[in-house]
Amino acid sequence: MKPSAVTIKETPSRFRHQVPKYKITRSDACINCGTCARTCPYGVHERVEGHNRVNPPIDYKCIGFECLSKEFCCIGKCPRQALSLSLNPMYDTLGDYRWTADIITATWIMAETGYPPTRTDLEYSVGNSGGGFDKLRFKFPANPPHVDTSEISTTIELNRRNDGRGNVVISTPMYGGGMSFGSVSLPTMVSKARNATIWNTFTCTGEGGYPENLIPYDDHVITQVATGLFGVREETIQRVRIVEFKYAQGAKPGLGGHLLGEKNTESVARMREAVKGTSLFSPFPFHSVYSIEDHKKHIDWIKEMNPQALVSVKVSTPNDVDMVAVGSYYAGAHILHIDGGYGGTGAAPDIAKKNIAMPIEYGIVKVHRFLKDEGVRDAITLIASGGIRTAHDLAKAICLGADGVVVGTAELIALECVRCGNCESGRGCARGIASTDSELADLFTEEWATQRLTNFYHAWNVQLVEILQKFGMKSVKELVGRTDLLEHIDYSN
Amino acid sequence: MPKKYHISTKATHLDMEYLFKFRITRGENCINCGKCTKVCIYEAHKREEGDPRKMAAPNTAVCRNCFRCIQECPRGALEKSLNQDFLNNDGSYWKSHMLIALWKQAEDGKVPVSGAGYRGPFTGAGFDGMWTDMSEIVRPTRDGIHGREYISTAVELGRKLNHLSFDDKGRLLSKTFDTVHLPLPLVFDLPADNLKGNVLAALAKAAAEIETFLLLPADGLTPEMEPYAGNIVPLLTHQDIDRYSAFLKKARLAALVYDGELLNNISGIKDKMKGICGASVIVRIQAGNGVEETVSRLAHSGVEIIHIAADYRGMEADGHTTSPPRVLKDIIRSVHQRLVSERIRDEVTLIFSGGIAMAEHVPKAMICGADLAAVDLPLLIAMGVRLYEEPEKFLVFPSGLEEIPVPILARRVINLMGAWHSQLLEVMGAMGIREARRLRGETGRAIFFEEVDEDTFGKLFKNREAVNL
Repeated sequence: MKPSAVTIKETPSRFRHQVPKYKITRSDACINCGTCARTCPYGVHERVEGHNRVNPPIDYKCIGFECLSKEFCCIGKCPRQALSLSLNPMYDTLGDYRWTADIITATWIMAETGYPPTRTDLEYSVGNSGGGFDKLRFKFPANPPHVDTSEISTTIELNRRNDGRGNVVISTPMYGGGMSFGSVSLPTMVSKARNATIWNTFTCTGEGGYPENLIPYDDHVITQVATGLFGVREETIQRVRIVEFKYAQGAKPGLGGHLLGEKNTESVARMREAVKGTSLFSPFPFHSVYSIEDHKKHIDWIKEMNPQALVSVKVSTPNDVDMVAVGSYYAGAHILHIDGGYGGTGAAPDIAKKNIAMPIEYGIVKVHRFLKDEGVRDAITLIASGGIRTAHDLAKAICLGADGVVVGTAELIALECVRCGNCESGRGCARGIASTDSELADLFTEEWATQRLTNFYHAWNVQLVEILQKFGMKSVKELVGRTDLLEHIDYSN
Repeated sequence: MPKKYHISTKATHLDMEYLFKFRITRGENCINCGKCTKVCIYEAHKREEGDPRKMAAPNTAVCRNCFRCIQECPRGALEKSLNQDFLNNDGSYWKSHMLIALWKQAEDGKVPVSGAGYRGPFTGAGFDGMWTDMSEIVRPTRDGIHGREYISTAVELGRKLNHLSFDDKGRLLSKTFDTVHLPLPLVFDLPADNLKGNVLAALAKAAAEIETFLLLPADGLTPEMEPYAGNIVPLLTHQDIDRYSAFLKKARLAALVYDGELLNNISGIKDKMKGICGASVIVRIQAGNGVEETVSRLAHSGVEIIHIAADYRGMEADGHTTSPPRVLKDIIRSVHQRLVSERIRDEVTLIFSGGIAMAEHVPKAMICGADLAAVDLPLLIAMGVRLYEEPEKFLVFPSGLEEIPVPILARRVINLMGAWHSQLLEVMGAMGIREARRLRGETGRAIFFEEVDEDTFGKLFKNREAVNL
């Protein structure tokens, strides 16, 4: 259920045109009679008063093939059969195997409206990667016990250690991924934090320091201590409710953070106490941690400095991630955050993104199973990330054994990221999301971005509640580890 | 500690257009307002030089797919699609994006870095079906390319002893063999026949500069290759040994084409080579049905280095009529395993080639059991060659290639190898492995799709319905 602070408001794209899925072609047979402009209720065709000719079709407004059965469809109405409908070749340039054009488009609609798309031509429950989440399906029971959506809880507790520290509860089982100042713009960071506050959940600073603009949202910010220790200070550790150690990141496991020189602008350099224009590569690993004992020493250090804070440990998914998980529990961590090999990044070597460490789907199962066997599963919160694209991925990750997820890329898509992948270099993001360039970082307002994120979280929450309802469950906590509610299209019949 | 091996790279531009992915077209309803010139940060849109009232045709080669011009054009006059060339070039193995990545690495010598997560399929055939491991907290870790630690990528080529024996006074009885030191686990295999003189010379020069070797058929050895003789591995049949004895004298390595006769008379042929030169001998064999058996017999009969070559897509060249051809990953694992089970693996050096198309293939081949890999077609792609798989393997050489000076072409090859070397260091650093030799056969430090999928999803979902009954 959504917190009372959440209000949904229609928040359209900041651009004039959307990316079209369909293409309407008008042939020479057109006599500019204007029938199409009169019949189409979506505004694809325009005939401006006083003009002789009908304007070129506005493709992105077309609802596609489902329109053909409608009485008002322009194709059938055209007296000269001058109009034809096809898939737009432009749509092929959007998205990829993991984030298909349909998932991106659907996410944009969610961020705009606050609800999953009403149109039926978008496949946004699975991507096209041919593995992992994309091969898992829910097995909904035919007659689930009736549960009213108002009875369904999506809150989860983050502290299960019973160690007297804060009992941090979040209202929806997801929070925002660590993106440093430098990798993304200040408006992006602040909007993420404002949304986290509205949704009573968290965002994370990443490893680039703690900008002052985030201070009003301290209670909903996780600050990261990563290997570069950029901007880590006693007061930043002391002002938050959760501190995260970043040992590794799914997109570049075994490598430190990358911030290329051009993105290290004046303000970024000041925050990181570095020299402007130099490429900043965090080391790998923490050179003070070569064992679980060293790791415990790190955690103790944070606990000493902030007696209320919970400690999250962010690791990647190597073969022995299960050992790392159990070790982290014994070292005193409250949250184990595993980031799978296909996770997002502002900049990472392509070889690392594709090849190093396993996808999150395996990592969750492995860690959940091992923690259970060790008898400590109930005393630690397991958070998964690295390829959570949709509310369905979220629910599947929980079925596989996670308590909740962290989303990174999905939040950026909500802000109209097109996943062009050019965040690493030059002035950074052409769309102003992942850029610290003074001109580009000014392409949207915090109000716009905060509302888009709030809408997007709401749309996911609605879908999660719907899934829980179909299972007849009253709490998302009942879903954890229920692999029996899933099937795999390669293995199950 | 040995001197740190480093490949110096230097941006080297070739004045030609290579493959690009996107095409933007400007419709007739453009009103020449110039909005696109303001929103594009890559300068794809400019006004016409001769007539600034009009917009020039978009320079789509620089398009990075940000969609801003598309979305902000007041008339919706711009359209974008995948470049037809890009689609045509896409093969079943050699993908257009791989060709572009190789070309770029040859330009700047840098590790390809980009934003956003991985965008490809979850898994795939061959090397795409494996992930390399990494270390954190519970295992030693290394710094990779940005650290100060020394990570050695060196391997030794040649026969090694399984153990040393000593007499009762502690004196060494075993006779040790000469080995050839390679600072990176890669040699160049000749990528195509009938290459122009400057291309061949550039390959040999690049091999010499980065201290590796170029395998070259002996009948292609021209006097202009003389200066690089120390870095050329002449490839010949054993019947031709006498004919090329002059060149063999200068060679540090020589490769013999495998045939049945060679196997039956291996010691005689080795003696004959020894009479002429001091080169270590490689036997080169096609990867095919039953290659394990032949490799095993070669190893047992004293061959020191065996080069197993798959086809250009990394598949078995012949053999299987009933089952689909095996891919390089599986061939390597099978050959390696065979020699391990016969307790002779450590005594021979195995080189594998065919379909080594990306930096990641080198550590992956080694993890599967190769001592080193041989690279071929990427060396030509570095020079602007395009590869088509359909309707059959076809190389398109850029016009004017034969005019490009040898040092420039060599520089491009060195850049590519420099980028690959750095990427190898990144993978090894992440694994916490400090010596490339230790990668060999370390399948425990990789994650194989079939195994991990079976172990997680197979266990969870397979036959569950049957069990429920």
